Amino acid sequence: MMKSPVYGLLLLFALMLPPVANLLESIMITHMHMQMPLLIISGLFMAKFFQHRFPEFFSKWNENGVPGLLLFSIIMVYWSLPRTMDEALTLTSVEIFKFISLPFLAGVPLRDSWPKLSSFWKHALIIFFTILFLALGWLYIWSPVQLCNNYLIIEQITLGWGFISTAFAMVVYLIYSYFVDLSKYE
Amino acid sequence: METVIKQSGKTQVFKDKANKVMGISLEDGKLTKSYLSVAFLAILLGGILGLVQGLNRAGMLELPAWLNYYQVLTAHGLLLVVVLSAFFTIGYFYAGLSHTLGGLLPKVRKMAWIGFWMKIFGFVLAVIPILMNEASVMYTFYPPMAASPIFYIGLVFIVLGVWMCAFGAFINVASWRKRNPGKHVPILSFFATGVFVLLFFGSLPVAIEVFTIIPWAFGWVETINVMVARTLFWAFGHTLVNIWYLTAVSAWYVIVPKVIGGRRWNDLLTRIVVIALVIMNITGGFHHQIIDPGISEPVKYMHVFMSLAIGFPSLMTAYAMFAVFERTARRKGGKGLVGWYKKLPWGDVRFLAPFIAMAAFIPAGAGGIAQTTNQLNQVVHNTMWVVGHFHLTLGMSVVMTFFGLIYWLIPYVSKRVLTPQINKLGVIQTIIWTIGMIIMSGAMHWVGLLGSPRRTSYSTYFDNATALSWDPYLFFLAIGGTLLMIGVLMQVYAVFYLMFFAPKGNTEFPIAEVEEDEAPTPRWTERWGLWVVCMIVLVGMAYVIPLVDFMVNAPPGSPPFKTW
Ligand code: HEM
Ligand SMILES: [Cu+2]
Repeated sequence: MMKSPVYGLLLLFALMLPPVANLLESIMITHMHMQMPLLIISGLFMAKFFQHRFPEFFSKWNENGVPGLLLFSIIMVYWSLPRTMDEALTLTSVEIFKFISLPFLAGVPLRDSWPKLSSFWKHALIIFFTILFLALGWLYIWSPVQLCNNYLIIEQITLGWGFISTAFAMVVYLIYSYFVDLSKYE
Repeated sequence: METVIKQSGKTQVFKDKANKVMGISLEDGKLTKSYLSVAFLAILLGGILGLVQGLNRAGMLELPAWLNYYQVLTAHGLLLVVVLSAFFTIGYFYAGLSHTLGGLLPKVRKMAWIGFWMKIFGFVLAVIPILMNEASVMYTFYPPMAASPIFYIGLVFIVLGVWMCAFGAFINVASWRKRNPGKHVPILSFFATGVFVLLFFGSLPVAIEVFTIIPWAFGWVETINVMVARTLFWAFGHTLVNIWYLTAVSAWYVIVPKVIGGRRWNDLLTRIVVIALVIMNITGGFHHQIIDPGISEPVKYMHVFMSLAIGFPSLMTAYAMFAVFERTARRKGGKGLVGWYKKLPWGDVRFLAPFIAMAAFIPAGAGGIAQTTNQLNQVVHNTMWVVGHFHLTLGMSVVMTFFGLIYWLIPYVSKRVLTPQINKLGVIQTIIWTIGMIIMSGAMHWVGLLGSPRRTSYSTYFDNATALSWDPYLFFLAIGGTLLMIGVLMQVYAVFYLMFFAPKGNTEFPIAEVEEDEAPTPRWTERWGLWVVCMIVLVGMAYVIPLVDFMVNAPPGSPPFKTW
């Protein structure tokens, strides 16, 4: 019996509970930087189930991991836009799409792709997101207008700094992996 | 493992074994000796000032006009929480790096020396304004209290000096890993890595704080954001406290089992404790700000969890330690449910001091958990209770572990041996320190609950009845403080005797082995890059919301004040 997919599913259900969803969505930064990553993590946990059920599908469509990486990135970029967050709060269909797309179209492909990727692609992904997060941080912090109908400007600025600090963490990681070649230690 | 290191021009081959037999190289030994000398001079001076404070608070000593209580308090805090702990930690871990990694690299040794002099220079700069009563801002130097700018410039040099030592340690560990592919960093160096990672990242916020204070102290900018400064300070202050704690913990896991002739606790779990303490540490800073205005209730609520989370690895440690003691004692024939304790070497100061230190952490940790909850914090905040708390945690758990270490560490670095007389002195010192600290910290806790404020020189508040009722406890505080001063003198004597006068000989660096049947430790424990990222992400989670709030919704800001 595989345990991790069950935990993933439980996490997904927990996040879907209305009080939990309402709480996390009531603050902009916990909406984007807590709920959404947790949804992806639930997908990471559930991925094993799909890999066992549909091995040919993954080996055929995600042979070198790059297609999965692209799918993950597209879903991530989509959900980084202020407009999509707003819509998730106002349109139920978009909200449902969020709860499906992040675990199954971002979390699952990421788990399947990561071990298949060469270190070039892994670093490319981190660099891409570092740049994206810096840009988004800049956008959210210095945007003169309120970007979301549902969130105040102060929340928007907070989220912006959340992006910058995440980008900072990734920069530290990139510097570390530039200087420390793990393969030399093994 | 073959490790070849160029020693200042001439090539010397250090084999790990040779290092163990011949002991530390003279140059590495000198480095640690210098660091430890400064640490114990700091405790001597700091102890004297502590006694002055204790006697003053008991109403037994009126300070002369040229010496202000807050001046003394600033120096006491700075000497003991910054100088003593930083110099001890660095001296001890550099000896550990030298021993477990086959000698320090010459470059690293040089960095540690530069760091040494930068810290001393910085400290001298900071002390001058304190002596001139221009910097009686206590070691927390919270704005809006402003000291002379020289004080803060001194702090900058101390931080830079610490960074030198941190990067030196990273370089040495990285070089060892390159020379020993596939091997785990030896456990004591693993602890050292964790400690120096925390020292570096923990002191980033205070560096930012000090750089915003300096222009304000010079008068180049008019106001400062007090909440931001306090928050940056505690991100550092709290981490610093936990760094010494982690240093003491390293000795509990690695050294003490060897001293009692046993083996150490599971390697993987030990490394997990280090990683957990590194990742979760900085965010605990907020528990020093539970009463601060301007932080919303939900954010404070989140921080209760972040702060309690650190308790978890501590509980693991408590379990591990007693498991090791029991296992070792039973192997030596100890019997019964609790009767095995008789088999432990109680007459050996190298065990007794760290053991009592550990035991003290049980009430100390319990008090800490109590304080970190919102309602209980309202009762004890800024009272003598808090002073009692950190004399128990720092003055007892941490400092007494340090005391216990010197009885082999100093002989090891100075190529001498511990004599039975000094061991006996150490046992007596340990008992005196224990009694003194129980009396002093007990009195502080109690009088704090009765409302006596911390950081306040003696006052009867116009003979107010409540204030007068504190007097008997403050009297006990003074008695405890006097005992502690005797303990300080004995300790400092032991340190310098062992460093310069004890008989020559070889002393072992006691590092316990793991149990024979233990499963190999997985490789992922070595992924420091990842742990640092986790730490930064957690720091982001804890700090982004409140800091943005402080800055965007900031009040007008405060001009500098001189309150003394
Ligand atoms: C001879 C031993 C010691 C005595 C008699 C002593 C006594 C005192 C007293 C009376 C206070 C002032 C309380 C107040 O007015 O708020 C104090 C504060 C303090 N002590 Fe000690 N202490 C001793 C050792 C230590 C040690 C070993 C450490 C730490 C390693 C330490 C760290 C501190 C700190 C951090 C403060 C707070 C300073 C402040 O509030 O700014 N002390 N001590
Ligand atoms: Cu703390």
